[in-house]
Amino acid sequence: MAKILVVDDAEFLRVRISKMLSSEGHEIIEAENGLKAVETYKSARPDLVLMDITMPEMDGLTALREIRSFDSSAKVVMLTALGQESVVLEAIKAGARDFVVKPFEKERVLSAVAKLVG
Amino acid sequence: MNVKFLNPFVEAASEVLQAECGVEVKRGNLTLHKSALTTDDVTVLISLVGQVQGVVLYGLSEKTGLALVSRVMGQEFPEFDNLAQSGVAELGNVISGQATIRLSKAGYSANISPPTLIHGRGVTISTLDFARVVVPLTTELGEVSVHLALREAPPGTHSSTFVPVMVPDSAKK
Repeated sequence: MAKILVVDDAEFLRVRISKMLSSEGHEIIEAENGLKAVETYKSARPDLVLMDITMPEMDGLTALREIRSFDSSAKVVMLTALGQESVVLEAIKAGARDFVVKPFEKERVLSAVAKLVG
Repeated sequence: MNVKFLNPFVEAASEVLQAECGVEVKRGNLTLHKSALTTDDVTVLISLVGQVQGVVLYGLSEKTGLALVSRVMGQEFPEFDNLAQSGVAELGNVISGQATIRLSKAGYSANISPPTLIHGRGVTISTLDFARVVVPLTTELGEVSVHLALREAPPGTHSSTFVPVMVPDSAKK
């Protein structure tokens, strides 16, 4: 089972995703903004990151670029309310491995996780 | 307020509430409000910048908020605690995100701020009064009112920087 970093400024979303993934046997760690995500990634080296985009302190796209700058093999899935084509393209160019738009179905998140760390 | 920005938010709210909470949404009649004071127990405030600028508010009662987040999480929330408040703010965030996808498809690029949750009626949310269109959305779990104060940015003038809306710290959650 994988160690997964869940990054979202909404505690509710972190708890929801954590329940969903821990019931599949994954280990979950959390961060509440992009800045803390980068720090946590460096110290915990998770197998996968699920990351929101719109967050205070540091947004998810900036955090994605920061993480990929020191770990080019980092697996990051964007999980966000922003689904405009321009945002999706920017995330993919920055190295995101998948892009899930909220509201999401549980199966969509589980399938994205299974594809990358299954 | 340009009413052409109304439908993307109403459609997004209907879709998100249906997908997340399993409720059907019935749209009520539009009204115009011009007050800097909140009118509901709970208000989620989100700013937009880009080719569409302004503020969107989602107002609801605590009871409705608790019922909605209980449905999303699949567990009962007896109190409107931090986790429940975060859930209500997240619903506003997801609805606004879906609305910006629709605006983008209509040719208007816009970005949204993280949500601010305001707890309490009669809280001043800005030092300026602003006119806003209000649409009540009725569900089996209660009513959510969508307040829109949006305008199209003049060509070449749109900014990507959020203008802070003044909310007393005591009302923020």
